[in-house]
Amino acid sequence: MFLALRELKHSKLRYFLIGAIMMLIAWLVFLLSGLANGLSSDNGSALKYMNADSVVFQKDVRLFLHRSILPMEKVDDITEITGVNNAAPLGQLTVTSENINDSSQIDATILAIDPKSFLAPKIIDGIGLDEADSNSIVVNDSFKRHGVEIGDKLKITPSEKEFTVVGFTTRQTYNHLPVIFMHIPQWQELKFALPGSNANIENPISGIAVQVSDDALLEEVNTEIEKTITDVEVATRQVALENLPGYKEEMGTITMMLVFLFIIASFVIAVFLYVITLQKTNQFGVLKAIGAKNSFLAKNLIGQVFILSVFSIFIGVLLTYGVAAIIPPEVPFSLDTSLVVIYSFVLLAVSLLGSLLSLRRIAKIDALEAIGRAD
Amino acid sequence: MIKLQMDNISKVYGKGNTSVLALDSVSLQVKAGEFVAIVGPSGSGKTTFLSIAGALLQPTEGRILIDEKDISNLSPAKLAAFRLKNLGFILQSSNLVPYLTAKDQLLLITEMAGTRNKEANVKAIHLLESLGLKERINHYPESLSGGEKQRVAIARALMNDPEIILADEPTASLDSNRGREVVEMLAREVKTRNKAAVMVTHDERMLDVCDRIVRIEDGKIKEIVLSKEDRTLVNI
Repeated sequence: MFLALRELKHSKLRYFLIGAIMMLIAWLVFLLSGLANGLSSDNGSALKYMNADSVVFQKDVRLFLHRSILPMEKVDDITEITGVNNAAPLGQLTVTSENINDSSQIDATILAIDPKSFLAPKIIDGIGLDEADSNSIVVNDSFKRHGVEIGDKLKITPSEKEFTVVGFTTRQTYNHLPVIFMHIPQWQELKFALPGSNANIENPISGIAVQVSDDALLEEVNTEIEKTITDVEVATRQVALENLPGYKEEMGTITMMLVFLFIIASFVIAVFLYVITLQKTNQFGVLKAIGAKNSFLAKNLIGQVFILSVFSIFIGVLLTYGVAAIIPPEVPFSLDTSLVVIYSFVLLAVSLLGSLLSLRRIAKIDALEAIGRAD
Repeated sequence: MIKLQMDNISKVYGKGNTSVLALDSVSLQVKAGEFVAIVGPSGSGKTTFLSIAGALLQPTEGRILIDEKDISNLSPAKLAAFRLKNLGFILQSSNLVPYLTAKDQLLLITEMAGTRNKEANVKAIHLLESLGLKERINHYPESLSGGEKQRVAIARALMNDPEIILADEPTASLDSNRGREVVEMLAREVKTRNKAAVMVTHDERMLDVCDRIVRIEDGKIKEIVLSKEDRTLVNI
């Protein structure tokens, strides 16, 4: 580290430039990871944070909740299966709601639940679904940004039905739309308004959320449900989330960008160091002539990369949290600290990887290069 | 006491038809306190000679002893450690590390040997002062003159208290006054510290400072002048 620190200190501009590139790449990596996490939440936080282990769908609807119709009685059938701790009915419908105060329209996803079940959302303001008032609804807190307050009435179009907001929940979105929690009978009236749209199923629901008693047996229980109950397909919560329309594509795009950024980081470091190393060939020759071992020179190079990377990544993290603090709430951005830590270490690893080329070059330099050049 | 002993050293580059005999059975002894100059035309084998004497290159044949230790068969890693401990190098003008101050150039030697401490710091300052660099201790090479750089190089070569000092064209980029100053300083240090020194040079004006002049031509030692009185007889 003797040489490493002194060179960093002396060639400030040179190493500032490479550090700045590293910092920008790190910053972009963290912003993208925040965006990925934000989009994933935005797309399906209702599923992502749902208090269930699996979701049961109608068979052959490609795990799409909006196409799935199941009879309510299957909830009880599933509850009786060994390994199932609890099951709850779930209804889904994408709608446009209208605040009757100011006629502003808000697109939303209705999730219909039994207020007594484990799917009842966490209330941050007001009260939960009122069992006495079948027209009560609980909405995601993003409705507040549209001026919705407790006691307001929302009209669900195209029906002329009006519902009263009694409470707010948080982090509940589905298909990038905020969620309206509603009683199942009212949802059934909206969803199956057309005669025959219920496929002749009495008391229809969209799907069934399942809690298992032992997480380790999740797969076995799911298989057992599919075997015992006819015409159903079971997916774990994660699979159901990934199967949301557009979810895989969004995540795939961002993952690809992240992978490329890691490769770019590695190459930028590799190329920059290699050019510097080539420039210093004669210097390394002199150092070797006066007795420097390869390990001594390698330690200094790795030390430089390490110091530079740690600084750059750290500043990148600071800037990322700075951005996170000022980013508007509409932007789907949410930082996952554990991911930031993991990506920091990945960046550190790829930059050290980038120094390999130069290490190989240094090992090849012969001390003889320092001698006899005036001949 | 003989510090450097080279017995029948030969060096062949390449193999078969394309092989080149760079050194042909060269023998030389250098005693403590002796300052030897190596001269000769380009391609004569001086660089090969210095590389072998400096433990940078292994001879094809022959035996080399430095401070009575045979280094003919050491591995490259052991040779590097040997150089660090026993040899001092003064190379051409660009041989200082550009991002180290004069003092750090010296401390680097002890850092590599794992012996950097307060004493080393004091020693480095003393060495620089004895070479007239008191005001330049914390200067980078970019702000030193050519002569000052080479004086720092001399100080660095002395930092590990070596048995032998090897100089490769130390005056290559200096004008004759500065060059002479540097060589005289080197000679003085060699005498007062009782070291053996070997210097490869083109510069004939420096030769009177040396104790002995060895001329290499076509890989063979041609003339050896033994005493100062005879020096004028050497036709170089």
